[in-house]
Amino acid sequence: MKVSYRWLCDVAPGIGLTVDEAMARLALRGAPVEEVEDLAAGLRDIVVGQVLDARPHPNADRLTLCRVLGPDGEVPVVCGAPDVRSGSFYPFAPVGAKLPGGFRIGKRKIRGHFSQGMLCSERELELGDDQAGIMLLKGDYEAGAPFAPAAELDDHRLDVEVTPNRGDLLSHVGIARELHPVGQGGIVLPAFPTGAGAGVGLESSFARGSSDSASAGVRIRIEDPELCSRYLGAVIRGVTVGPSPRWLANRLRAAGQRPINNVVDATNYVMLELGQPLHAFDLHRLADATIVVGRARPGETLVTLDGEARPITSEMLMIRDADRPVAIAGVMGGRDSEVSSESTDILLECAHFEPKQVRATRRALGMSTDASYRFERWVDPATMETAVLRAVELVLAVAGGEPDGEVIDACPAPWEAPVVSLRPSRVRHLLGVEFSSAELVALLAPLGYREARTGSDVVDFVIPGHRSYDTLREVDLIEEVARTYGYDTFPSALSAFRPGTVPDDPVFQLEDRLRVRLAGDGISEAQTPALGPPRHGDVPLLNPMSADESHLRRDRLPGLLTHLERNLARGVRDVRLFELGTAFAPGENVATIPRESARVAVVLHGRCAPLQWSGAGGRFDAHDIARVVELIAGEACPGGRVVPAEAGAGGWRGPVLDGAPLLVPERCYQLVDAMGAVVGWGGEIRAGAMDLPPWAGTVVGAEVVLPSSPAPGIAVTARELPDQPASQRDVAFLLPAGTGAGDVLEAARAGGGRLLEEAEIFDLYEGDDLPPGARSVAIRLRFRARGRTLTDKEVDRSCRRVLKKVKGATGVEPRS
Amino acid sequence: MIDELRRLREEALDAFAKARDAGELERLRVRYLGRKDGLISGVLRRLGSLNPQERPSVGAAANRAKKLLAEALQDRLGEVTAARSATERALDLTLPPRRKWRGTIHPVSQVIDDIWRIFQGLGFARARGPEVDTEWYNFVALNTPLDHPAADEQDTLYLAPGLLLRSHTSPVQIRTMERYPPPIRIMAPGMVYRRDTYDATHTPAFAQIEGLVVDEGVTFVDFKATLAEFARRFWGPGTQVRFRPSFFPFTEPSAEVDVKRVIVRENGREEETDWIEIMGAGMVDPAVLDNVGYDSERYTGWAFGMGPARVAMLRHGVRDLRLFYENDMRFLGQFT
Repeated sequence: MKVSYRWLCDVAPGIGLTVDEAMARLALRGAPVEEVEDLAAGLRDIVVGQVLDARPHPNADRLTLCRVLGPDGEVPVVCGAPDVRSGSFYPFAPVGAKLPGGFRIGKRKIRGHFSQGMLCSERELELGDDQAGIMLLKGDYEAGAPFAPAAELDDHRLDVEVTPNRGDLLSHVGIARELHPVGQGGIVLPAFPTGAGAGVGLESSFARGSSDSASAGVRIRIEDPELCSRYLGAVIRGVTVGPSPRWLANRLRAAGQRPINNVVDATNYVMLELGQPLHAFDLHRLADATIVVGRARPGETLVTLDGEARPITSEMLMIRDADRPVAIAGVMGGRDSEVSSESTDILLECAHFEPKQVRATRRALGMSTDASYRFERWVDPATMETAVLRAVELVLAVAGGEPDGEVIDACPAPWEAPVVSLRPSRVRHLLGVEFSSAELVALLAPLGYREARTGSDVVDFVIPGHRSYDTLREVDLIEEVARTYGYDTFPSALSAFRPGTVPDDPVFQLEDRLRVRLAGDGISEAQTPALGPPRHGDVPLLNPMSADESHLRRDRLPGLLTHLERNLARGVRDVRLFELGTAFAPGENVATIPRESARVAVVLHGRCAPLQWSGAGGRFDAHDIARVVELIAGEACPGGRVVPAEAGAGGWRGPVLDGAPLLVPERCYQLVDAMGAVVGWGGEIRAGAMDLPPWAGTVVGAEVVLPSSPAPGIAVTARELPDQPASQRDVAFLLPAGTGAGDVLEAARAGGGRLLEEAEIFDLYEGDDLPPGARSVAIRLRFRARGRTLTDKEVDRSCRRVLKKVKGATGVEPRS
Repeated sequence: MIDELRRLREEALDAFAKARDAGELERLRVRYLGRKDGLISGVLRRLGSLNPQERPSVGAAANRAKKLLAEALQDRLGEVTAARSATERALDLTLPPRRKWRGTIHPVSQVIDDIWRIFQGLGFARARGPEVDTEWYNFVALNTPLDHPAADEQDTLYLAPGLLLRSHTSPVQIRTMERYPPPIRIMAPGMVYRRDTYDATHTPAFAQIEGLVVDEGVTFVDFKATLAEFARRFWGPGTQVRFRPSFFPFTEPSAEVDVKRVIVRENGREEETDWIEIMGAGMVDPAVLDNVGYDSERYTGWAFGMGPARVAMLRHGVRDLRLFYENDMRFLGQFT
């Protein structure tokens, strides 16, 4: 809601707040000001100039030579307008002044005559579109005085943030009421500066009727009382449609509205003043001078006044004449019946429409107007009569004409103020502070909540019309109590609490541990959206923002890879990222909830250690990602094993991108959990799956599915430390091409029996002195027994078992 | 003779292991592996005394032993030389330390973690909920009818009619209360989604953290006190807290919570910041409690929601939210 500070002061003359004070108070009343604009900021250099005399320029037809009295006395001015009047006042930009557009006035010589300043048009001051002539100031002014205050243009526009429950704040009176809660008496509707013409007093009479009412030959009928509880229509004949007077145009502009014509501006003025949207019809364009409020008939269409043909459905409430729709109720009028420069007789509509209906209609049409915005949020039904009379008064004042007949009042469902009961005990229960009934009445009465009845433990309040949509429950009144008492007035005291029944979620705990582990391993945590471009098997969004983020990712690694790509594209060569996030697998069909799983994904590229004097430790490859997967498994998958990926019967079963495996199957591991299920993949990323600069090296990545209910950590049973020395043997094997060193190691471990404490590969050698493809693998075996020293014989026997097992399992023999 | 070889081997290996320097190792080499008087050579020389069937196997064993000992001697020689050079070589302490990569935890995660730790100390537990949810959990159960303008405040991403990406973490309130009886003291961190375009303060997916307390006797006074306590623990003891009226469909009364921090400048002067909006909060609307089958006449509660990324922006002086989600190593690497 854009509020003119001057307007605010006009409707609440006793408000006594500066702009800053008003902003601070609004913030504390729950309607903070998002932005404030000094509307006179561009007019600071402009003054009132009086033209002492004017004569035609001797060397030019269209120019006038003037003597202008400004702040520095008389100066000569050459003016481009032919009709400068001696003795009149104009906005004047002296030499050195800056116009709102930024142009600075200099001393110039025009066709042989000096000009020291400029008389300004509305357009030059950005006050309107009228550039035909310079802006004549009617009335009496002091020459040389600052222009903006003299023309009442020194105003501020406050952009107030209004929450959806506060439709009552969408007007100047509403804002004033909130700022200045002294009851209705504090608010006035100021007289219009323009003479009130024939004028109508607020006592004007109404032609009361139920669903059907008529006056001045105009008939109004409501077919759908649930959707339109009241419709007021006022007929004015003989108006002259034209531009609004300057004060009205300025006021609308100060509140952020563009002036259109005097009649439309009058309705907008009343809406901005009182919050009641109004519409003016050209009465001669209404067939049979009839208004029917009812649902659209099948097949009807309407071109609204913005020129759009609107697809109307039978769900929508329309304003119709005898033949066809002329407006979408509460949303927008039709083009054919709008007020134009030819209009002479008009019908002013002031109606109450059901909020949900207006909302459904404007959403179905994909539009929102000032009117629909207000109707959706509830318009005060108690203000309707004031609003229609105010509008009539203003139209007469600015467009002339005469009211015809009584205000037609079709009111099938008269509004009744709701009554809400408030228990002081419940106030204390919720707010923690004791208020007596009298105190509650004292807090609420200034906001318009009238005490209807006070019982022993309850007070009944009559809700004012402007709050009768969102203040219908006891708790709503309690909020009003808290707001008025002042949130900051309440004490702040910690009290004892009972422990909650909800256990701390184990997945969060697991994620905490993984974060620490992976960061400790030199990998940085990333956060990426779960949204990505279309990919086979991903869940599509119904209303995506862009094609790049139109689907929910079924795994996280591809998304994380795009962030690795971005780093590489920016020249960052060492990239180590991990991410904890959710992946989405499609449900049975589009309407079922996708299956979500928590994931951890990792990508690595570049050097294994920072560049430094003691040499780098190589570059990341699949063996590094295997370590990371093992690290993750240690937290997420107790008993899990990292093993080379197997193709399986159905081919590749790991993550897929663009129809091909995301990982290179021959350079990929899988994580197998204790139950034998594959819960993770890690390995070299297929180069074709990424968009990398030519210098990029191997990228490795992994993704592991986290358990949905991680088992509570099993406490480790500590082993005693050995009490005897170990015996060590080193054995070297010659592995032909195709034999896995890990298989040999595993066989060695399996064959060593219980005396074998540890077996590790400590050397791996490929060289020209070996057969092609063959490798030499050296394994160190460490034997130990509890409570006694092993004899050579025992160690030798165990060694032989190891060799036998290795030979049996892999066919490999020790090198002699 | 095989036994003798084995004994010699063990004896030699033992002696190698005990040797402290190269000189000692040289003496041992001569003793065991010397060509003329070496003990292994002695065995080889006595091969002639064996019968011809035994000769090849013993010979091979002796050669194996000789080779093994030669290798072991070489290894040990390497070890003692390295050990000596390590103790004698001067270390250049002006060199930078030998470094490994350092990983960092995402700055938004760090904020969530810090917030969580404070509330953990106030007796809270974390709860989790799905990111895809229904209109019921995201709106209706939270007292936000779809035909009310409040539902427009968050432009929502849909998967299908009625099925959406949660636009806030508040559905976790409903899901938790459906599953557990009061008292409830939970936090729900998680990702939420809105139909926003990327700019300096918006991304379509971002983290949020939710808090909920429900029990008997919970009042506006507790609500203010707990959040003020949190703010002082998070931003420092001098932090001032302000509660401004606001509107959220699922709380009543509702509040925006602002903090004013005291920051210490480099010259030691203390300075107050402006009021900064940090969270939306309020007393749980009784309609929400009714929707999960709690007795709203008996139980009361309060809730809050905040954006940890916004807090991280304030904490680290980051002006553009997008930096948090670009995951540039040079950015992430700063948050050690």
